[in-house]
Amino acid sequence: MKAKLTLLLVSIVASVAVLAGCGNDNSGGAGQEFRMNLGAEPPTLDPALMQDQVSSTVMSGLFEGLTRMENGEAVNAMAEDIAVSEDGLKYTVKIRQDAKWSNGDAVTAHDFEYSWKRTLDPNLNPPAPYAYQLYYIKGAEEYNTNAGGTVDQVGVKATDDLTLEIELKNPTPYFKSLLSFYTYYPVNKAVVSANPAWAAEADTYVSNGPFKLSSWAHSDSIDLVPFEDYYDRDSIKLEKVHFVMISDASTESNMYETDELDWSGKPTGSIPVEQLAQLIQDKNPELVSQPQASTYYYNFNNSKKPFNNAKVRKALSMAIDRQAIVDKVSKGNEVPAFAFVPPGIHGVTKDFRDEITTEYFTENADEAKKLLAEGLAEEGMTAMPEFELSYNEGGVHQPVAEAIADMWNKNLGITVKTQTVEWKVFLQNRTSLAYDVARAGWGADYNDPMTYIDMWITGGGNNDTGFSNAEYDALVKEAYSTQDQQARVDAMAKAEQILIGDNMAIMPIFYSSVNTLVKPHVKNVGIDYKGDIDYTRAYIEK
Amino acid sequence: MFRYVLRKLVNILLSLFVLATATFFLMKAIPGDPFMQEKNVPAAVRENLIKYYGFDKPLWHQYLIYLKNLLNLDLGMSMRQQYQSVVDIITRSFKYSLQLGVVAIIVSVVVGVAIGLIAALYNRKLIDRLIMLAATVGIAVPNFVLATLGQYYFANKLRWFHVAGLHGPMDYVLPTLALSVLPIAFIARLTRSTMIEVLAADYIRTAKAKGLGSLTILIRHALRNGLLPVVSYVGPMTANIITGSVVVESIFGIAGLGKFFTDSVSNRDYTLIMGITLFYAAILMASRFITDIAYAIIDPRIKISKKGG
Amino acid sequence: MSKQETVLSVKNLEVAFNTRGGLVQAVRNVTFDLKAGEALAIVGESGSGKSVTAQTIMRLIPTPPGRINGGTIDFKGQDILKKSEKEMEAIRGKEIGMIFQDPMTSLNPTITIGRQITEVLMKHQNMNNTQAKERAVEMLRLVGLPNPERRFAQYPHEFSGGMRQRAMIAVALSCDPTLLIADEPTTALDVTIQAQILELMKDLQHRLGTSIIMITHDLGIVADMCDRVIVMYAGKVVEEGTKEEIFKNPQHPYTRGLLRSLPRLDQPKDEPLIPIDGTPPNMMHPPKGCAFADRCENAMRICAEQDADVTTHSPTHASRCWMHSAV
Repeated sequence: MKAKLTLLLVSIVASVAVLAGCGNDNSGGAGQEFRMNLGAEPPTLDPALMQDQVSSTVMSGLFEGLTRMENGEAVNAMAEDIAVSEDGLKYTVKIRQDAKWSNGDAVTAHDFEYSWKRTLDPNLNPPAPYAYQLYYIKGAEEYNTNAGGTVDQVGVKATDDLTLEIELKNPTPYFKSLLSFYTYYPVNKAVVSANPAWAAEADTYVSNGPFKLSSWAHSDSIDLVPFEDYYDRDSIKLEKVHFVMISDASTESNMYETDELDWSGKPTGSIPVEQLAQLIQDKNPELVSQPQASTYYYNFNNSKKPFNNAKVRKALSMAIDRQAIVDKVSKGNEVPAFAFVPPGIHGVTKDFRDEITTEYFTENADEAKKLLAEGLAEEGMTAMPEFELSYNEGGVHQPVAEAIADMWNKNLGITVKTQTVEWKVFLQNRTSLAYDVARAGWGADYNDPMTYIDMWITGGGNNDTGFSNAEYDALVKEAYSTQDQQARVDAMAKAEQILIGDNMAIMPIFYSSVNTLVKPHVKNVGIDYKGDIDYTRAYIEK
Repeated sequence: MFRYVLRKLVNILLSLFVLATATFFLMKAIPGDPFMQEKNVPAAVRENLIKYYGFDKPLWHQYLIYLKNLLNLDLGMSMRQQYQSVVDIITRSFKYSLQLGVVAIIVSVVVGVAIGLIAALYNRKLIDRLIMLAATVGIAVPNFVLATLGQYYFANKLRWFHVAGLHGPMDYVLPTLALSVLPIAFIARLTRSTMIEVLAADYIRTAKAKGLGSLTILIRHALRNGLLPVVSYVGPMTANIITGSVVVESIFGIAGLGKFFTDSVSNRDYTLIMGITLFYAAILMASRFITDIAYAIIDPRIKISKKGG
Repeated sequence: MSKQETVLSVKNLEVAFNTRGGLVQAVRNVTFDLKAGEALAIVGESGSGKSVTAQTIMRLIPTPPGRINGGTIDFKGQDILKKSEKEMEAIRGKEIGMIFQDPMTSLNPTITIGRQITEVLMKHQNMNNTQAKERAVEMLRLVGLPNPERRFAQYPHEFSGGMRQRAMIAVALSCDPTLLIADEPTTALDVTIQAQILELMKDLQHRLGTSIIMITHDLGIVADMCDRVIVMYAGKVVEEGTKEEIFKNPQHPYTRGLLRSLPRLDQPKDEPLIPIDGTPPNMMHPPKGCAFADRCENAMRICAEQDADVTTHSPTHASRCWMHSAV
């Protein structure tokens, strides 16, 4: 009888092994299928409510704005023609006649007007977090912030089914590329006004882009299939886009290795740090590494002694070795940063970074020591007090912080305590200026240096350093007021000089790079300057 | 029996109420709120959000509103997942955790008891020692280590299974393994020690003296007594497994409830936090309750009503 | 079976146990007979080997660590020691029944009393559920349990100590076995209940004609119930005889010592009892000669060297002692 039990147990184990051994067919999706990892469930797929990269990655296949980005340039998409007035303040857009919604309705100018006004609606439930992207439009900010503006005063009007008139607050040379941004997508007026929860499930979802939402298994996967009545249907080669939602980096890595994914890493996935370093070292042919217009830096609390002193801040910035950090700590092909606006952002004719080559500072430990002593003296202090360098969990934040604290200790003889802080608490501390030095990062919203420069105006919504400089503010205003790109770039360059060169309000560390693993059979997937992915025109070549 | 059940239910409801209150106030006490993002939300929008969710009202007022909704079984909408109701999120995710959980529980109990029985029957022989060694290792090794190793060797290197997801029957094998190794080890040890005791009991000797066969003695006489401690372990274990191991679900990309539990706190998704906490508590209490009933059914010596026999 | 037929014949039985410390020789050369309808008492102190002997008759001793090293056990003409496990299963509960010392632990707490009887009937008598239940209820009535239908569905913890022992007897006798072995059945019960159980056993014995082996250390029970007695010490039979012979004319110093140590009703209250000095020997290294020698007031030099042969005092009375053995 004992023998019987043992036999039973053994046979159970054996049968599992046999079934398993029958193997799994993991070969890539049937034909033209592109599979990637979103990393998490998108909080929403409603253009008005979106604010994160997971949602925008899915949406970029589902929706299309008046323009779309192709090879870094804004080309007409839903718009057939865009006429700009002399002063750059009035845009008259003609909508294409063959643009359709996935439910068969025609896309009209009314859909655009409705969508933008809906996003700006102060009573939208829940309120749109990215509505400020629409503030370029006249009257938008006043309406959205309940500062006395009415909806009729917002400068967007559909004069007929196919004509949209837009009035801007300031001349904005990069407005055409803004029009490709998801906050500027249209929504189907009839569908959305009837059902506020239209974007919660695949069966009520209506979109106008090259793909439509064929299924949304919450927290599990999303499938897109081509929209048959898309006006440029022939350019769409993929038969399916399959998104999974795997939060664990090594699971994603395993899935890529077993051919369950065609793409791994940014924008929404992640490659484990050590593995990335190995891939770079091995020069793995499937690794695509390109610069990303995103800056990794540290905030100084400009309102707190001794960080209120520019010399102290400069000293700290000069006393670290950025190349060493990039080579030995972050190891992801990043580029040391000595300014704030990263490469990849347009200047006048070339990149801003290629045109503005001023060296704002150099790394020099001895100079730094001198400067530190001077700065402290100015503040009436003899020694640098111990302070806290805080950062949130994840990525390379901890190793970088520890390396920098170590460098400060060696080069300046100061004691720095590094501290992990929980995400929301970290944000709260940073916004309320309850920190000494805090990790930060900024990615571009659009391709113009202004997306970096206007952060630091006095009282700016994203200025969590307490930095305030009247000249800086004036330069920003100047850059806003003109269409002349050269004038704008000059003003912004001067502003950057004030920010970094004169004041070192923040400490730039490196410019990020996008690292992804791509299967050799995947073709024509684009990554733009900000690291966003365009898979709409991709195809599989086996 | 009926009065006992009624009393237990009232207890459970009271406990849930206390839990809801404690969670509500603790949750609001944590710094940070759901609206903070890396790219700051403008002040006006933030105010609108706060007004929309009623966070501008005094705390006790918010609490009363929440209680009122709770009594109407309205757990509200998630604050982060737009237009998804808390109830929908929980039922959807729980389905995955439940499916995996039930399989893991069945495997744990069946394999654990079988192994424990074998160890008890071959007490002190080599098989027993090997089994106990394996059980010790099984208890010591954390489930995420097993999960990660299992995934790497069996899914990635050997290609026997998919790396992630819970779509076909074979997808259950690795996550079930990761979840059930500890319970199997525990149950095996428990079964073994209890069965060794039981098999040495006088009533087993009597059964033998009656001329009953060894299989009959094992199944009818020994097992029922030997499994009582296992039953009391399995109750709370069930609740733990079913409500999902965060780590195992995350490693195998299973869209279960576990991940929401931790993510909702990081996101300060208040409604979801409350909903999941209450849900977990209800499951735990229900499983304890069922264990009590099961115990009483199996062991006639346990009286669950005040009346004597 | 005629009254005088021998039902059980144990010859030269040797049983030892392989323990960590060494080999424990529990039963050394035990020989006795049991006649049909007879009640035989096996008397001895703890460790004398009486329980082991009884359990060996049923082949209940687990064979590791136990080992039957020699002898024969003849039951109704068949050698028990040669039987396979399957054959033994057919005998246990059916031909030979056994009741144990502690009825609370000897009954399965999670099975109803009724079931514990019917399972024996269904196994050995091929009865179906209804028939078995009928017979079981009958047995419960037979052992003197009032309201037997109700008791049938109850669990052991719902019975008192005496009732449980009655139930055990019902279980053991349900198939009307030829032989009933009772291993200290009343030791765990209090005195009044003890008397009731003994009455019951006597009654049943007369009614059913069962042969009984009563294992006990209580001479009172022996006097009450049994026809013949064997006295065991350190794994050997040191004296055997009828009840009258043993009580009136004990031959072995150990038997005499036992009788002398009994409290008597006509003894003054504060007069001390007379125990047997010393303790039983270590059965891992049993002494070469007579095991009782170091406690015996009549010990001679030869007692330590060599164990005496059996001396017959009458056709029914024998003892093993150098005092009586012809040199």
